[in-house]
Amino acid sequence: MSEYSVLGKKLPRVDGLEKVTGAAQYGADIHRAGMLYGKLVRSKHPHAKILSIDTSEAEKLPGVRAIVTQNDVESGRRVFATDKVLYLGEPIAAVAATDPDIAEEAAELVRIDYEVLPVVQDVMQSIQPTAPRLHSDDTKDGPTRRTIKAQLKKLQDDESQDHSAEIAELNAQLGILEDELYYNISAETHSAIGDVEAGFAESDLVVEDTYVIPRVHQTYMEPHVSVADVDSIGKITVWASTQGPFAIRSGIAGTLGIPLNRINVIPTTMGGGFGGRFGVALTHVPAVLLSQKTGRPVKLQMTREEEFLDGRPAPGCVIKLKTGVTADGRILVRQALGFWDSGSVSGASIGSTIRVRGVYKIPNLKVDAYGVYTNKSGTAAYRAPGTPQVAFAGESQLDEIARQLGIDPVEFRLKNLREEGDLIPGGGQRGGSNEPKVGYKETLQAVADAVDWKNRTKGPNQGWGVAIGDWTNGCGPGGMYVSVHEDGSVRIFHGSMDITGTDTALAQIVAEILTVPYEQVTITRGDTDSAPYATGSGGSVVTFTMGNTAKLAAEDTCQRILELAAERLNTGLENLELKDGKVSVLAQDSPRSISLGELAAYSLSTTGGPIVGKGSFARQPSTPALAAQIAKIEVDPEAGRIKVLKMVSSQDVGFAINPMAVEGQIEGGTVQGYAWATMEEMQYDENGNVNPGFVDYRVPTSADLPTVESVIVEVEAPNGPFGAKGVGEPPIIPTLAAMANAVADAVGVRVTELPMKPERVLDALSRK
Amino acid sequence: MRNFEFFEPTTVEEASSLLAQYNGKARLLAGGTDLIIGMKARTEMPEYVISLENIPGLDGITYDEGSGLRVGAMTKMRALETDAIIRDRYTALAEGAAEVGSIQIRHLATLGGNIGHASPAADAAAALLVLDAQVQIGSADGQRTVPIDALFTGPGTTVLEPGEIITAFEFPPRPANSGSQYLKQKIREVMDLAFVGVASAVTLNDGAVENTRIGLAAVAPTPIRATEAEGIINRYHPVTKEILEQAAEAASAQSRPISDLRCSAEYRRQIVGVLTRRTVQTAINRAQS
Repeated sequence: MSEYSVLGKKLPRVDGLEKVTGAAQYGADIHRAGMLYGKLVRSKHPHAKILSIDTSEAEKLPGVRAIVTQNDVESGRRVFATDKVLYLGEPIAAVAATDPDIAEEAAELVRIDYEVLPVVQDVMQSIQPTAPRLHSDDTKDGPTRRTIKAQLKKLQDDESQDHSAEIAELNAQLGILEDELYYNISAETHSAIGDVEAGFAESDLVVEDTYVIPRVHQTYMEPHVSVADVDSIGKITVWASTQGPFAIRSGIAGTLGIPLNRINVIPTTMGGGFGGRFGVALTHVPAVLLSQKTGRPVKLQMTREEEFLDGRPAPGCVIKLKTGVTADGRILVRQALGFWDSGSVSGASIGSTIRVRGVYKIPNLKVDAYGVYTNKSGTAAYRAPGTPQVAFAGESQLDEIARQLGIDPVEFRLKNLREEGDLIPGGGQRGGSNEPKVGYKETLQAVADAVDWKNRTKGPNQGWGVAIGDWTNGCGPGGMYVSVHEDGSVRIFHGSMDITGTDTALAQIVAEILTVPYEQVTITRGDTDSAPYATGSGGSVVTFTMGNTAKLAAEDTCQRILELAAERLNTGLENLELKDGKVSVLAQDSPRSISLGELAAYSLSTTGGPIVGKGSFARQPSTPALAAQIAKIEVDPEAGRIKVLKMVSSQDVGFAINPMAVEGQIEGGTVQGYAWATMEEMQYDENGNVNPGFVDYRVPTSADLPTVESVIVEVEAPNGPFGAKGVGEPPIIPTLAAMANAVADAVGVRVTELPMKPERVLDALSRK
Repeated sequence: MRNFEFFEPTTVEEASSLLAQYNGKARLLAGGTDLIIGMKARTEMPEYVISLENIPGLDGITYDEGSGLRVGAMTKMRALETDAIIRDRYTALAEGAAEVGSIQIRHLATLGGNIGHASPAADAAAALLVLDAQVQIGSADGQRTVPIDALFTGPGTTVLEPGEIITAFEFPPRPANSGSQYLKQKIREVMDLAFVGVASAVTLNDGAVENTRIGLAAVAPTPIRATEAEGIINRYHPVTKEILEQAAEAASAQSRPISDLRCSAEYRRQIVGVLTRRTVQTAINRAQS
C-alpha cells in the first residue's frame, strides 16, 4: 500500500504516552469534592424469597448518608430485587457513606430475611420438569414437537380432504414426546434451510456430538465504576468507564424516566471492555439514585469479587451438533440444538447458534436454540458474542469428520469454503443472503503457509490443530468534526470510545486525507453533552463506522481548505492541489502555494470563518470478518497439562490501517481464546459462583504461551474506509477449536467439554 | 477492610507480649500477601495487627559447611529463590519459593509467613519437610525448636502457643552428593496455587540412595511426608523404574486428598504418584551430577 504516506504504517498509538505514563484518567481515578462512596447490598443466596428488608441498623452507623432500595425508584423500573432474588450477589439495596469502609460495614448491617428456594445451575437440568422454576411454569416445545405441530397445523388447515387419521397419529406422537417440553426457557430461535432429513439420508458419514462450553468473564482490568453527581437543579452528570456513553445516557434516562438533555455522561478512559462494558444497571443507575438522595457526588466501584458475582459474562452453552458428509468430503447437512445459559434473565447470544454454518457451503441446515434460566447473573457480549462457543462445536466436529474420512483438515475445509456469490445459509449481514468477496480461502491458506502445513512435523504427544471462523463487521451511526488550527495542526472531535487503537486509526485517516504528518493530528473525545452521537465501541464497529465518518469529515475539511485557497490565491478550485500540508497552484511556471496553517489563520478573517469539517455516517453494507488459526501443542500424558508450542493466527482485515494495532488485536483475541480453551470457567454450585476471584478463575499470563504469530490478509472490503473492516472480534473465534483439534491430533482423544483442564484431559485419555 | 490498631514492635519479646495480650484478636503481619487479602475479603478481621518488619535480625540467609543453613523468618521468597547456596544445595527450597505468586509478590512474601499461615498447599512447606528443617520459635518466655514435621496440626493451625512467633528455620548441612526437587501441578505456568505439590530429596552413598525424603502438599489437612514411599526408595538398589513406580503408588496411597472446585481427590492422588516418580528421579540425577 505504498500509495499512502500515513495509512498502513505501524505508527505509535495516539493514547500510548498517557497510558504508559499513568496520566490517563480511568473511572477509578475520578474524585469530586465532597464525594461519598457507594456500596451495593447483595443477595447472600442464589435463589430465595425476600421476606423483609430492614435498613434501620445500617442507617444508624455514623457516616452513612443514604440507603436506597426499589422504593426509591420513582419510575418503577426494576433496579433492585424486591420480592425474590435469582442469583448470589443480586443487588437489593445501595448504601452511600463518607468512607468506603463505612459503606461496606453498612451494607453488612442491612438485614434481609430470606426464605431459601431450591437452586438450578445446569441448563440441561433446568429444562426438566423437576427443576425449580425461576419465572413461570410455562413450557416451550423442542425441535421434534415443533415439527409435528407444524405438520398438524398444515393438515388441520387443509379442508380439501379428511386427515383425521394422520392427525390422531401425530397427536399420539406428541403425547410420548414429553421430554421435549422444556421448562425455564428465556428465549428461542429456529431456522431451517433445505431439507435436513434428506441431507442425512444422502450422507455417507454422519457424526453427532455434544459440546459443553463454560461461562467465562470478560476480565477487563478495570472493574465497573461510576461517579454520579446530581446538582441542585437535578442535572445529572455521570463519569463512566463504558464502551457506549450514549447508550449509558439513554439507559439512565429510560430507567429513571429523565429526559436525555438532563443527563451528561462523561466517559473516562476505559480499562478494557470486550463487550462487558455497555450495561447501565451494574453501577450507573444505583450511583445516580444515591446522588439524587444525598445531593452529593457518589462513587460506586465494584470489587473484582463483585465483578464475578454480578458482572455480565459470556454465556456457557450445550450444543448438540450433527453433520453429514459425502465420502469424498462434501458437507451436505448440519443440524444444531443449542441450550444457552442465560442466567436469571433472557439475553444470552442464542442467535449466534446459526453460525454452526461456519464459512462453508451447507445446503441443508437446521438450527434450534433456547436460552435457559439458571440461578446466575445475566449475560452480555464478549468478543464476537456466542461465536467462539459455536465455532468450538462446529470446527471440532469438522476436524473429527476429516479424521474419519482420512482427509487433511485444511484440504477438507478448503474444499467446502463458501465463495463469492454463494448462498449464505440463514442469511448474511444487512439482509444480504449471498456471499460478498471475502478472503476465506486466502486467510486459511495464509495460516497454513505460515506453518508450512504440508511439511509439518511433530514429536511424541505433540499435535497440530486448525480452525477458522467468521463474524459480522458491525456498523452504526457516528458524527465527527475536524478543525485546522493556525499553526497547521489538526484536531478531531468525536464521541466514540477508543477501543484498542481506534482513535489512532482515525487520526491516521485524517492525517492521510489532509496530507499532514500524523504527529500533527490530535484527537479529543467529548461527552454526551458536547460530542455528536457515536455508536458504542463494540461489534468490531468503530474503525468501519468512525473510519468512514473520519473520511467524510476530512474530505469536508479539504473542500473548505481548497475553497479558502482559491479565494486567497485568486484562482479556480480546479487549479489547486492539496499535498504535503499545503495547497499549490498546478501548472504554473512560478509555483505558488499556501500552507494549511496560513490558510487557517486567513480563515479567521473571512466571511466563511474557521476551517471546520463535519462527517456523519450511519450505515453501509459491510463484509464478514474472519480469522483462521493453527496451534501446535504438547500434552503431558501423565499429568494432563497442555503446553502451546506454536500459535499462528491469520485474519482478513480488509486493509490494515495500522498493522501494529491489528497485530495487537489478533494476539489479544487469540490469547483469550486459548484461555477459554484451557483454563477459564466460572464455576457454580447450589451456593452460587464458587470462584469469584483470580485465584481460582485463571487467566493466562505471558508465561503460558509463546508469542502469537500474526498473519495479516487484506482482501478489500468494498464499503470500509480505504477497504478496512473491523478487526477486534474475529481472532477469539477459532482458537477454542484449534486447541481441541491439536489435542486430538496429539493424543488421539477428543475433548468436547471446555476448559481442557488437566484432569479432563486425563479423563479423556483414560477412556481412549 | 475493617479498621484495626497497628503495632510496630522492635523486639520479638515485645511482639510476643502484644500477641499474647490480644490473643485471638491479633494477627502478625510479615509480608502481608496472605493476611491483607484475607482482610480485604473480610475473612480475616483482626482488631490488632502486629508488624514484624521493624524487628532486627529476623531477615537473612546464613550458611556454614559445619552447621548448615539458617533462614530468618522474615526472609523474602525472592531471596530464597535467587540465593546461590540454596539453589545448589537446597534446590527444592529455591524451587518451592519460586512457585509462590509473582516476582512482585515474592519480594514481599516471607518464608515465616508462608509456613506460619499453615496452608496445606504452601509451596515452601514440602521443601522444608524434605530438607529436615527445624523451626525456631521465640516468645517473651524464650526460644524453642520444633521439627517441621511436628509443626502443622491442621489447615491453618500449628503447635504455636499464644504469643509464640516463628523466628527462623535451620537446615542441616547437605553434602555435594545430595539432590532435591519440588514440582507443582498447576494449570497456569505462574501464579497458580498447587493442585498437588511434591518435593523429594536424596543423598547418595556409593551410588546407593539414602535419606530419601518425600514431602506432599495440598493432599492432606497439612503438608505431610510420604514415609512409605521413602522407605521403598531407601530399601532397594538400584532405583529402577519399577521401584519408582512402587514408591509412587505408596505415596498416592498415603495421601489423603479432598475433592474441591480445583480438581477431584482421585486426580490429586494420581498426580501425587506422577510427581513422586518425577521428583525422586530428578533428585537422584541432581545428586549424581
